[in-house]
Amino acid sequence: MKKTIQSAIVMAGAILVCTGCASGPRFAEVSKTFPALSPGQGRVYVYRKAVLGAAVQPQVKLNGEAVGRAVPKGFFYVDRAPGEYKISTTTEVERSLSMLLGDGETRYVRLGISLGFFVGHVYPELVEDRVGEKEIQKCSYTGPTNCKP
Amino acid sequence: MNLLKTSCLIATLASLAGCAFDLVSVSQKPVTFAPGGGSGSFQLAKEVRAGLGTGFPTVLRADTTWKQVGTTEFGEVFATKDQIVKVEASNIHEAEIVLSERSLVGFYLPVEKTFAPLSHPVLLEFK
Repeated sequence: MKKTIQSAIVMAGAILVCTGCASGPRFAEVSKTFPALSPGQGRVYVYRKAVLGAAVQPQVKLNGEAVGRAVPKGFFYVDRAPGEYKISTTTEVERSLSMLLGDGETRYVRLGISLGFFVGHVYPELVEDRVGEKEIQKCSYTGPTNCKP
Repeated sequence: MNLLKTSCLIATLASLAGCAFDLVSVSQKPVTFAPGGGSGSFQLAKEVRAGLGTGFPTVLRADTTWKQVGTTEFGEVFATKDQIVKVEASNIHEAEIVLSERSLVGFYLPVEKTFAPLSHPVLLEFK
């Protein structure tokens, strides 16, 4: 009986994790289809590589505008004019990253998760290009409907 | 009575949830930033760890090259393309470094347009 309950819990956990993850095409498959950056624009890739806290998937906002969702193993991108940007997510509290975006520049923002009181906190973190380029390869595309400039 | 206790506990937990994880913030001062300011540049000889008292020190890597991008009343502002500079507490801010007489005195936050001072200046070693 004990074994059955344990198996059921493990299976339920596995299902929960699997259903919470992004399932679209991987970066390597889909990135070739993305349009080249228009002149006067920069690109921000936002990705979440961790599966931990899969049920917690807050909206991702860019200067207050919803641009995507923090789906585990998922990524999306936004093209914007050069300038100052604040990327934020909210669960119990808001977590934000302020950053600059240059003309023709591509930047990578990783969504991490930390412990919360009732629910985990998803926080955006700016990472080096070489780190972002590597980590995003394992993520699946969760755009494009809400990722247009 | 039990209901009252439970209600109080829930209310306390709910209020804690809203603030308990948002206590640490980067101390910032308003600043006047004047872009440009010369062709000053340098290369760091050693790694520097600079703390703002938030528990998340900012690391400046050895061998990184820094160019002056502006001036503030707290010192000259330098930026690099060799690494990302950020200051971190509950939130994360992209930053540039502020030097005064070869010492790192704090960070300029270009989005917030503020200055985040170090508690103790750090003398930098140049190559």
